[in-house]
Amino acid sequence: MTEQQEIRFKGLGVSEGVVIGQVLRMHDTTEHVYHWRIEPSDLEAECRRFRAAVDLAKQQVIGIKQQAEVRLGKEHAYIFDAHLLMLEDEKLTSDIEKEITDKKANAEWAVKVVGDRLLSLYSEIKDEYLRERGSDIEDVMQRLIMALGGGDEERPPLSEDAVIVSQDLLPSAVAELDLEHARALATDTGGWTSHTAILARGIGIPAVVGLRDFYRRAKTGDRIIVDSSRNEVILHPSITTIQDYRSRRVVGSRGPEANHPGQDTPVTTLDGVEVTLRANVELPSEFEGVAKYGARGVGLFRSEFLLSRRGVVGSEEQQRTAYEGIAKIAGDDGVIIRLFDLGGENVREVSHELEKNPALGLRAIRFGLLNEDIMRTQVRAILQAAKKGRLKIVLPMITDSSDVKRARAIIEEEASALAKIGGELERVSVGAMIEVPSAVLMADSIAEVVDFFELGTNDLVQYTLAVDRGSDEVSDWFRTLHPAVLRSIDTSLKAARQAGIPAIVCGEMASTPAYAVLLLGLGVTELSMTPSAIPRVRATVTEIDTRDARLIAEQCLLCTTADEVENLVRERFAQLWCALFPAAALPAIRPTN
Amino acid sequence: MVERTLTVTAPLGLHARAAARLVRLVSGFHSRVELSRVDSGLSADAKSILSVLMLAASRGTELRASADGADEEAAISAIDQLFSDGFNGPEYS
Repeated sequence: MTEQQEIRFKGLGVSEGVVIGQVLRMHDTTEHVYHWRIEPSDLEAECRRFRAAVDLAKQQVIGIKQQAEVRLGKEHAYIFDAHLLMLEDEKLTSDIEKEITDKKANAEWAVKVVGDRLLSLYSEIKDEYLRERGSDIEDVMQRLIMALGGGDEERPPLSEDAVIVSQDLLPSAVAELDLEHARALATDTGGWTSHTAILARGIGIPAVVGLRDFYRRAKTGDRIIVDSSRNEVILHPSITTIQDYRSRRVVGSRGPEANHPGQDTPVTTLDGVEVTLRANVELPSEFEGVAKYGARGVGLFRSEFLLSRRGVVGSEEQQRTAYEGIAKIAGDDGVIIRLFDLGGENVREVSHELEKNPALGLRAIRFGLLNEDIMRTQVRAILQAAKKGRLKIVLPMITDSSDVKRARAIIEEEASALAKIGGELERVSVGAMIEVPSAVLMADSIAEVVDFFELGTNDLVQYTLAVDRGSDEVSDWFRTLHPAVLRSIDTSLKAARQAGIPAIVCGEMASTPAYAVLLLGLGVTELSMTPSAIPRVRATVTEIDTRDARLIAEQCLLCTTADEVENLVRERFAQLWCALFPAAALPAIRPTN
Repeated sequence: MVERTLTVTAPLGLHARAAARLVRLVSGFHSRVELSRVDSGLSADAKSILSVLMLAASRGTELRASADGADEEAAISAIDQLFSDGFNGPEYS
C-alpha cells in the first residue's frame, strides 16, 4: 500500500482530548436507488436475494434493539420491535416480491416503489403523531436497501479505536451508535453547542466539529488523529506525526476522573463563598457521571430525551419510573426536570411540518401549552415521582409571566386532582428558564411568580445575538462573552436577588472554567454542567477569590464588543491566575476583525 | 367468531409502539383477528403491523375487533385487556 499524504483539517474542538484512531464513517444521507430490468429466468433468484436481505435486516434490528435496551432503556427499544414486525409483515414482503415479479424490477427498486407507496398513504393521515410513524417505514426501507447491498459494511462493529466521522450526527443516530466505545467524534457541520458537541462532552470523548469538507475525504479504516486542543484532525498522519503524538502522551478526555475523583466536600472559593456544582444530564448513560464526578444533584434534566428517537412520548408510568430513577441517583440534592423542550432541533422527530423558523416557532413551553395532553402527562409523572425523591420543575423558553401563570395553572390542577385520589403530595418548586431576551427584560416580574431562575446560556447567546448556534457559517458571531450576553445575565441575576429566589446557570458557559469564573464574578453560586466538566470547574473555583472575579466582571459589563471582553479576560486572567489559565484555556485570539 | 368494540386508549393512538404490542400479542394466537374502524369500516389484519398502522387510529377511535378460530375467546379477551390497560400494562413482547 502506498503511503498517503498527511492532511490536516481545521475545525472547532468542542470536547477536549487527543485521540489516535481509525475512521468509522457514518452516513445519514439517503441512498440513491437505481432501477434495472431482471430477466424472467432470474426473477426467482432476485426474490431469494430479497428474502436474504430481509433476514439480514432483521438480525441488524434485533442487535440494535438489544443495544438500545441496555443503553437507552427498555422503553426506547420498543420502536425497534415495531421495525422488526414490519420486516416480518407478510403484507410488506409479499407486496415487494410481487413488484419484483410483475414489473421484472430489481429488489432495491421494488423496495423503493412499495415503500414510497406506503409512505404516500401515510402522508394522508390526519393525526400528526400517527402520520409521523411514516418515518419508521422510511427507516425500515432504508435498512432493507442497505441490506440488499450487503449491509454490513455500513455498520462494522466499532473497533477499540473508532473515531466516528459524519457529516452531521443527527440526534436520531444516537440510538444506533455504540457511543460508549467510540473514542472520538469528527463532523463536517456543527458548533460548540451542536448536539454532537454536547453529546461528546457528556460522555467525555474528544470531538472536533465544523470540519466542512472532511467527511467526503475520509474512508472507514483510515488512520486519524483528533486533536481538540488544536482544533484539528489529521488524516493519514505520518509515522513521525504519530510518534510525536505518542511521545506527548495521548490524553483521551476519559482520563480526568482519575485525576480528580468525585468529592463530596463543599466547593468553596478562596474567600469562602460556597459554590454548588450540579450535573446536566439527558442520556441514561450519563447518570453514572452524577455521582462519579461528585455533582450535587442534577441541575438540568433534559426530559425530552425520554421521547424515543421517533418522537414517541413515554406513558405516565414510564416517565414516572424514569424520574424516580434519576431522583434516586441524585439523592438529597435533587433533580430539576426541564419540561419537554421540544421543537427546533428536536422537532425533526416529532413533526414533519417544517417551520420556517423553528427556533422562534412552536417549541418548549409553547408546545406544551398547545399540546396539553402531553404536558399534563409529564406533570403528573413528575408530581407522583416527587413522592419518592426531590424533584423540581423548570419551564423552558419562558417569555414573560403569563407563560409561567398558564403553566403553573396546569401544574396546580394536576396536583389537586392527584391529591384527591392519592392523598398528600410534596410541593414541587417551579422555576423559569431565562433564555430569551424578553425574559431578561421582564425578569423582575417573572421572578415574582417562580421559585427559582435557571439561566440557559446557550439559548441566551443564540437569541440575544440572533445567531443560529448550529450554523458554522455564522459561528464568528456566536460570542458567549458578548457584553450583551453578560449584561443579560447580570440583569437576570439582579432580578432574582431582588425577589429573593435562587438562580442557577446551566449552559455551556458554566462548564468552561474561564467563563465560570466570570459567572462567579457576576454573583452566581450555583452552576450546572455536563458531569465530566465538574472536576475541572471545581479545581478552578477553589483557586479563585470572587472579589477579583467581581472586579473583572464589572469591567466586562462596561465593554462594548465581544473582542473587548475577550481581550480583557485574557489580560486580567493571565495577570491574576496564570497557573490556572494557560493560554489554551482562555478565549482564543481571533484573526483581526 | 367473537366480536368486541373497543376504544383506543393509548394517549397517542395506535402509533408504532402501541401497534407493535398489539401485533405481538395477536400473533401469539391461532385465530384470525381483524380490526375495523367503526366510523369508516376500514379494516385491518391485526397480525400485520403495516395494516394496523394504516387504520390511523388516534386516541378515542372506536374499533371493532373480531377473532375467528380455535382460541378466539382467549384472543379477544387479551386484546380487550391491552386496550383497557391503555397499552401500558405488563409487557407483551
